[in-house]
Amino acid sequence: MKKLISYLLFYVVFCLIQFFLGRYVNVYGIFPNFILILIVYLGLSKGIMNAQLTGFLFGLTWDVFSTDIFGIRAVMFAVIGYFAGRFCGSFDREKTLTQFVIVFFASIVYWAGFSLIYFVVSGGENYAFSLTILSVLVKIIITVLFAPLVFYILDRIVG
Amino acid sequence: MHRRQKSRYENIIFAVLLLVGFFLITCRFSLPVKLIKNLVYYISYPTLGTSAYIFRSVGSFAANVKAMVHTHQENITYKQKNQKLADKLRNYDAMSEKYESLSGFLKLAKIKNTKSVFAGISFRSPDEWYQWCIIDKGETDGLYNGLPVAVLNRKSDALCVAGRIVETYKTSSKVALITNSISVIPVEIKDKGINCLAEGFNASLLRITYIPLGVGVESGDEIVISGLSAVFQKGMPVGVIKNVSKKISSDFKTATAEAFYETGALYEAVILVPQAETE
Repeated sequence: MKKLISYLLFYVVFCLIQFFLGRYVNVYGIFPNFILILIVYLGLSKGIMNAQLTGFLFGLTWDVFSTDIFGIRAVMFAVIGYFAGRFCGSFDREKTLTQFVIVFFASIVYWAGFSLIYFVVSGGENYAFSLTILSVLVKIIITVLFAPLVFYILDRIVG
Repeated sequence: MHRRQKSRYENIIFAVLLLVGFFLITCRFSLPVKLIKNLVYYISYPTLGTSAYIFRSVGSFAANVKAMVHTHQENITYKQKNQKLADKLRNYDAMSEKYESLSGFLKLAKIKNTKSVFAGISFRSPDEWYQWCIIDKGETDGLYNGLPVAVLNRKSDALCVAGRIVETYKTSSKVALITNSISVIPVEIKDKGINCLAEGFNASLLRITYIPLGVGVESGDEIVISGLSAVFQKGMPVGVIKNVSKKISSDFKTATAEAFYETGALYEAVILVPQAETE
């Protein structure tokens, strides 16, 4: 019961931070992807099952609030949760370098998969939605920079 | 074996999630999916009132965090004060032990230890403002007639004389203030060693009588309890001289003094109860 409440609280807090705070506090639309960091963290610390299910749920919620293709984030976060969970116990997640590298690759996978699905589904017509290389790169860097902080906080609360 | 089974289970779930995800992507324009999306959106998206409530809550949350930080800082200060007091108490214990042995050797009269009982002022009659007050502690708290009552002076952070208990009931006591006309306390002018009396006359000031003619007493001189008092401890602050009378009667002169306790704002008092000596 306690675990369920804490997961629910996490869900609400991260939704508020990502969807509502991100809407008002951003620099030219750039805001760290806290949910991605959370899923990577869960994958590394709790394993595949927790990470992929949480990822799917967060992705679905984000899809509901966005005007992008419905289901795209659910798929991508589930994929990231699955692959991050594969590395559970293989890396020392407390090392900053590990956090940087894994979150960086997770972001690359996320954006690559995101672009691919978008390209395939929309038939390349509306591909110029907002994906300029520069903005994606900045988003990835910002997310990577925030990773140690989020890992530290989550380690204190969850770990 | 168990691990392999778990891994298989995880892979199946992953495949199911992918299938559901791709199903949602392909059927995103279908009516049921659109309906579900819109329904979830309208249920969970905050309305104007909810948004206002959230922002207000964030404001109060910030205020709470600020209060927490403030309390934390206060705690640190109190911890430091506590440490200082603990050090003082340790020194006091050592000095007290020495004092006990020396007073035994020299056969000196021992200083009485007192216990402080804190009380609130529960009643003060406007027409007898400078005469009495009622405190919310009585016999059940170990109080009895004749006990000295002090008040904390917020400016000097010291206990100053306010009055003495004249009537005691079960849960309350009546205090005759030093400004009451029945009150006469032996005092001395601080640092001058001049003994005199502080008499009340049912006003905000005290009348200082029996000041020897030849001594220089000026406005601003501090009055403290003299060693002749059997009720109050020697050296407790009483008031400050405001005016010295020019009129001379026999061999003495008089002065008026303002009491140290704030006569207009008397809310709490400390009753100094002498402790029985423990062997």
